[in-house]
Amino acid sequence: MNERQKAVADKIVDYLCQTLRLPKENVNYDVPLFGDGIGLDSVDSLEIIAGMNLLFGVSLMGVNDGVFANIRTLSEYIINDPDYKENRSNG
Amino acid sequence: MDDRIVITGLGLICAVGGNADECFDNALAGKVGIKEVESVEHSGCYAHIGGEYTKFKTPAGEDRASALCIKAAEEAVADSGLDVTKDADRVGVMIGSCVGGAVTIEKFYRDYVADPDKASGDDVLKMPISAIANNVALRFGARGVIDNVANACAAGTMSVAMAADLIRSGKADAMIAGGSDPMSSLAFSGFHALHALDDEPCRPFNKSKGIALGEGAGILIVESYEHAKARGAKIYCEILGSGVSCDAHHITAPAPDGEGMQSAMARAIENSGLKADDIDYVNAHGTGTPLNDSSELGAMLRIFGDGGKVSASSTKSMVGHCLGAAGSVEAVLCVKAIERGMVPPTVGYTDEDKAAMREKAGDFDFVPNKGKKREVGYVQSNNYAFGGNNASIIYAKEGAARKLAKPTDERVFVTGLGIVSPLGNTVEKYVEAINSGFEANKCEKCGDFVSTVGADDFAAVGIKLNFYRKLDKLSQMTCVSGKLALADAGIEVNEENATKIGIIAGTSDGPQTDIANFQKGIIANGTQSGSAFLFPNTVYNAAPGYLSISAGVKGYNVTYSNGAASGLAATAYSPRVLRTTQNDVILAVGADEDSDTVHMLYEKLGAVGSGMKLGDGAVTIVLEKETSADKRGAKKYAEVLGSGFAHSDVKFGEYGSAGSMKKAVDSALFESGVKAADIGLVLTCSNGLKSLSDIENEALKEFENAEKASVKALCGEGRAASSALEVAHASLMLSGKIGRTAAKYALVVSASAGGSFNAVVLKKI
Repeated sequence: MNERQKAVADKIVDYLCQTLRLPKENVNYDVPLFGDGIGLDSVDSLEIIAGMNLLFGVSLMGVNDGVFANIRTLSEYIINDPDYKENRSNG
Repeated sequence: MDDRIVITGLGLICAVGGNADECFDNALAGKVGIKEVESVEHSGCYAHIGGEYTKFKTPAGEDRASALCIKAAEEAVADSGLDVTKDADRVGVMIGSCVGGAVTIEKFYRDYVADPDKASGDDVLKMPISAIANNVALRFGARGVIDNVANACAAGTMSVAMAADLIRSGKADAMIAGGSDPMSSLAFSGFHALHALDDEPCRPFNKSKGIALGEGAGILIVESYEHAKARGAKIYCEILGSGVSCDAHHITAPAPDGEGMQSAMARAIENSGLKADDIDYVNAHGTGTPLNDSSELGAMLRIFGDGGKVSASSTKSMVGHCLGAAGSVEAVLCVKAIERGMVPPTVGYTDEDKAAMREKAGDFDFVPNKGKKREVGYVQSNNYAFGGNNASIIYAKEGAARKLAKPTDERVFVTGLGIVSPLGNTVEKYVEAINSGFEANKCEKCGDFVSTVGADDFAAVGIKLNFYRKLDKLSQMTCVSGKLALADAGIEVNEENATKIGIIAGTSDGPQTDIANFQKGIIANGTQSGSAFLFPNTVYNAAPGYLSISAGVKGYNVTYSNGAASGLAATAYSPRVLRTTQNDVILAVGADEDSDTVHMLYEKLGAVGSGMKLGDGAVTIVLEKETSADKRGAKKYAEVLGSGFAHSDVKFGEYGSAGSMKKAVDSALFESGVKAADIGLVLTCSNGLKSLSDIENEALKEFENAEKASVKALCGEGRAASSALEVAHASLMLSGKIGRTAAKYALVVSASAGGSFNAVVLKKI
């Protein structure tokens, strides 16, 4: 994970811990967010969609489930999205 | 006792009109009141519509929930000709609400965010659901049983059912009953966050993608038949039986199988001594969300079949979803349907839709687009809510045949206790703390007495991280105390007993902390940015809803909110439910939380700093029928003998009079068949405020020689948690676990700021 992605991933970790009240020790880049991992559900996914929009300007409405697999996949999608705030300001 | 209960007055205000007749005429004509919302900023949202009644302006200095409610109540009281003050002690108020003072909550936190000093204590008094029934009682001078039902979208049906039941149990002659909720940024943003709003007017059971929010108040004057006859009142119709159940499935979504909905409907029919075939019209919940509509349609088809004998409509397609007022708004429309022999429609169906509906539901009659004339002898009204709560009630033409279930004469015992308190969690730790004189846990920062629940507490009751992380403190404490209580009672919930275990919860302030968190979020980031995670926690019945899910209990489930006495009300209301429903066990919960937010609110009120120390906690009393307790050889802490209620019509926030407290005590003693002189132990409710101590000292004079105990002296003013802890503490004393009392009978009293008093008498085993 490069620095750019890591910065996004760490913001996501903080966001999830604060907003979804997850204990920090249970969260890392690769833990599955849904299913057997930390067991997020559909309401949590709405919160993640809203949060990524607020934090990074990226809309995750309708993207495929794989993006939500873990924080690594989520952050990767965000840094590659043309709407990501930093991509916009650089371009 | 005659069980005939009638409706003698109606009042209604909602998106399609400012009085009952106007609303019903417009509903019959299929007029839609849903349009662009004016009172909530929604420019950044994907949906923009709702059902407001903008002609009604909230009077200056008032909150919209109470103002709407009083407007509808004025119409209903005038319509009924009831002279409330003539026998004020026998007239009560029971109001359902979901968001309560949400309009003032937004104003308060906007002020607070701008400048904490600007936010006013006067506004704090307009925020809780507790305020509404008290304001109505004050307006009309009612001094009987005053309470609010806080079960979100099912509240307005439960409040009418409860009003009928209080009269049947002899606690009142007449009740001003109904519900009220305003359009609010809280609800709009919350349903938006859950993607549960439709961007077009909703078309329930059809192509609808979500709800249209509404606002309004519906009030019914509910009265005993004898009382109505004696004063020559006009009688609209009768209230027969009702049914309440809980899904124990999900905090916001209904169980897809619709089983809980079906059982509430089936119980209402059965409790009325009717058959499904007798029902002529169903006012469906029909919110327009695909999840609700498919579960509900399935439940209706299983009960009524698809032959088209019954007519069923969702009037929400015209007035929007009025949340806690919905059941009462719909109740008024149901009563008008009986009066006029006309049923209102579900609107928004094209010919193509009708064909598609036939595929799905055969000849089932949704009364498409226009109201119609038909025989309307028996009407069923259904509402379902967050927390998985389901409620159903039957209205019938005056004199219609019925056979209501008679109450049993079962004795009711305390068979288990679950304590989460500043003195420790579990009965054992609480008893040890009391008997050893330990000091209660205090917040280092603010000095309040606070309970703590941590990972160990959840592990001890088998609640996992992916469940408890979602809960606010109120819900966390409630779940732990409820599960501890079941364990203490030795009850294992299984498929067979799940539907026979219910919950009656009481809370003074509900989830004020997450309400504040949610509201501050939308103030900072806009209505379109509401937190889907927090919104489910903002309803007062979330905590017992989470408890029902974590414990798997599917019986009765009602949440009351009227100040500190609410925790005692939960115990007071339970015996009647155990004697008239299928429930063998009721978990009577009292819970309130402390936090920086709650501390700040009580500081604004001036209560903190005038001798009162806040506390918090959750206490669950397992109340069980004798037959059930004996069958499983349960231990018994005490017997619940009787209860009493009284109210002083004072300004919300003030305590009532010593005379009213004495009335509550006298009526509890009378129902219990116990003389004042035989009371050996009194659990007092003073909290350090001089105004309340003076009232209590005066009211309890005749118990001078009885032993006194105060849980608030040890654990602070934990409001509903304290009044429930009083019941637990008295039960522990009577059973010899705490102290060495010689008392055979204990009196438990509680007072709410707002003027209400509750009393309960317990007996040693």
